[in-house]
Amino acid sequence: MNSILRYTGVFILLITLQLLIFNNIEFSGYVNPYVYVMFILILPFSIPSWLLLLLSFLTGLVVDLFSGTMGVHTFATVMAGFVRPWIISLNVTAEVADPDLSPSSHRNGIWWFFIYTITVVFIHHLTLFFIEIFSFTHFFHTLLRVILSTAVTTFFIIIFDLIRPRR
Amino acid sequence: MRSLLNFLLRFKTLILFLILEAVALVMISSSHNYHQTIAYGAARSITGFVAKKIDKGENYFRLKKINDELLDENLTLHRRLEQLTSSQADTIIPVTDSLSGETYTYMNARVINNSVNKQKNFITLDKGSKDGVVNGMGVASSTGVAGIVVGVSRNYSVAMSLLNADFRLSASIERNNYFGSLTWDGGSYRYAKLSEIPHHVSIREGDTVVTSGYSAIFPAGLMAGTLTGEQTKGGDFISLNVLLSTDFKKLTNVYIIGNLKREEQQKIEEEAVK
Repeated sequence: MNSILRYTGVFILLITLQLLIFNNIEFSGYVNPYVYVMFILILPFSIPSWLLLLLSFLTGLVVDLFSGTMGVHTFATVMAGFVRPWIISLNVTAEVADPDLSPSSHRNGIWWFFIYTITVVFIHHLTLFFIEIFSFTHFFHTLLRVILSTAVTTFFIIIFDLIRPRR
Repeated sequence: MRSLLNFLLRFKTLILFLILEAVALVMISSSHNYHQTIAYGAARSITGFVAKKIDKGENYFRLKKINDELLDENLTLHRRLEQLTSSQADTIIPVTDSLSGETYTYMNARVINNSVNKQKNFITLDKGSKDGVVNGMGVASSTGVAGIVVGVSRNYSVAMSLLNADFRLSASIERNNYFGSLTWDGGSYRYAKLSEIPHHVSIREGDTVVTSGYSAIFPAGLMAGTLTGEQTKGGDFISLNVLLSTDFKKLTNVYIIGNLKREEQQKIEEEAVK
């Protein structure tokens, strides 16, 4: 119960940060960080995959509703939720001590968390930007946006992870 | 039956994933038809309310700039008024119906949400159906073209920004009246492309690009931007780089432009095509 409340708080905080601050970051149209993906990243290791998918859907839908991009964020976030278990299973170096804990840098090591974050964020952004423009005509232009935005999003997620309360 | 059930259970994650992605795709494809976006009217009212609150705070820091722009425009209008009254003084025509000559109506509105960093940017305005806004009206700032209204709720309306990959507007080069199609390529928010201009047209850097008025959304001659001189050749036409006259990053006060005779024009055009 306690953890449900905590994750609801994190959800609201991340969505608010995204809508009020990060949606307004404009750097010549190339850098659009989407830090709300962090919610998908820090859900517990033990979460069933169907619940992960539903929560991803919900997260994307809320962002879509508030930024007027129907379906685009939903699609990308469900994709991120779908690949998350695979990325974790490919990437397990340390044994997961308690499956109820959430992935974080101080428990799993900063390098592990960095690789995990950048992979999921990259897949999310790749899906997002290509679904948004819906064509491959400006392929390299879009790819550059994906790469730059992934770097900035990853940077912020790691900063947030370092300053969040440790439990 | 048993094996089918086993199959479904084994791939339940994959199946759920596919279902959710399908739902998202349906949402994306239905919102591509911008007239259907009105279905999200309820959500828009909430987001419009939040955006308005944020905008109030942001606006405070731009007051001086807005004031200057309004003063400039006032000055221009004063001069225009002066010209009109002085030239009409000697030829007084009694006008009984003051509306008969009027085609375009203007209504001012405030921008409460706007973006320039997406591929499909939209502008939210604080005027809605209760103020008489309908789909298809034009949106212009004091410096030039800004967008077209695509969704209206009771208190708010949403305009497709010129900075939207789906935006298309008939525009012409003022000096020689050749017209083409003004679109945005998704790059910098300061530049757009004027395409479908024939090869032989002579262009100069700094030529003014204005609306052609063919689409009956904007009056003819409304400023859109200036040519930068860059051009790309392809096929029978060239496309020209246009520096937009509207700075979308500081869009605050706009006009919603309605055309009283638009329906009449469209109706006769449709009848003629049949």
